[in-house]
Amino acid sequence: MTEADPRSNTHNRKPGAPSRRAGLLAALVAVQAVCAVFFVVDVTADFTWDGADVHTAFEAVIAVALVLGVIFGALEIRRTLDRIRRAETALSIASGALAEVIEAYFDRWGLTAAEANVALLAIKGFEVAEIAGLRGASASTVRVQLAKVYAKAGVTSRTQLLSVFIEDLMGEDLIGK
Amino acid sequence: MSQPSDTLSGPVIPPSKGVNWDPVVRVTHWVVALSVVLNGLIVEEESQLHNWIGYAVLAMLALRVLWGIVGTEEARFSSFPPSLLKAKAYAQGMLHGEHPAQRSHNPIGSLMVYAMWGSLAVVIGTGIGMEVFDIYEMEDIHEVAANLVLVLAAAHVCGVVLESRLSGVNLIRNMTIRTRSRGPE
Repeated sequence: MTEADPRSNTHNRKPGAPSRRAGLLAALVAVQAVCAVFFVVDVTADFTWDGADVHTAFEAVIAVALVLGVIFGALEIRRTLDRIRRAETALSIASGALAEVIEAYFDRWGLTAAEANVALLAIKGFEVAEIAGLRGASASTVRVQLAKVYAKAGVTSRTQLLSVFIEDLMGEDLIGK
Repeated sequence: MSQPSDTLSGPVIPPSKGVNWDPVVRVTHWVVALSVVLNGLIVEEESQLHNWIGYAVLAMLALRVLWGIVGTEEARFSSFPPSLLKAKAYAQGMLHGEHPAQRSHNPIGSLMVYAMWGSLAVVIGTGIGMEVFDIYEMEDIHEVAANLVLVLAAAHVCGVVLESRLSGVNLIRNMTIRTRSRGPE
């Protein structure tokens, strides 16, 4: 019921239906949470004033079921949202937003302007010597900057750096489970 | 930039537009906001409606705490740990016209929400103490904490307006009905 249909995301530009489903699910879980709270408080009060009897025990079972329902509901919403976000990331790349995604990753890694420039040229396939020529810097400077980029990105090679972005392009289905 | 594994997976949030809050955060936020206005300013105290609204806030608080553990990255507590040092640095940065992109609550907002949740918890706890368990000595604490909630709410609204103006990111739209894709529009 909560599995977002990936097709509705790749065919429409806006995240429409799955997003609305997540919103509806959130509202339902919120209502369920109110019921759960009411029963938990009611059971606690009954138990305090009247002690344990069949009625209280039955209410306690309902309270536990509602609380579990809220927890599983929240987990389901999380899964739906994750799916939507993956689809959106894939879509924005497919729509020619790769440059922006790369920039956002650079931002996340905290690259300096020079490092970001070197990294971009490296991703585009330029050799160290070529990058040095383009930037008017020495090859050893570029090599140091590239090493810093790899360290910040948590990768060890240019191929791995590239695969960070390729991974988003391929999506989970191609990587396979 | 919290953990290495974090940098290699998961969606990237373009920093320029602020946090696009998920539906659980939005629902809990607005139910609490409405409840605070109703119970703090409008609905008669000691009425049954006042109690019901209180239960609704407890439910939202419990749901938000659960969501702070299992929820989306930006909603998790680990994304906005309370830190006076960071809040101070952030305030100083603001005075110098800096608006670093945020992936969750900004450091000042983080302190605000924890203070708000704490105050709400006290209001709810004392409210239930009086209503359900007949502990009427709690009334003064209930009143003080409730007033603190109203003060924090007012400060929160001022903070949101100020931050939206200074940073150019419409924070209000990010918490209301706006849905957007994470890519360019």
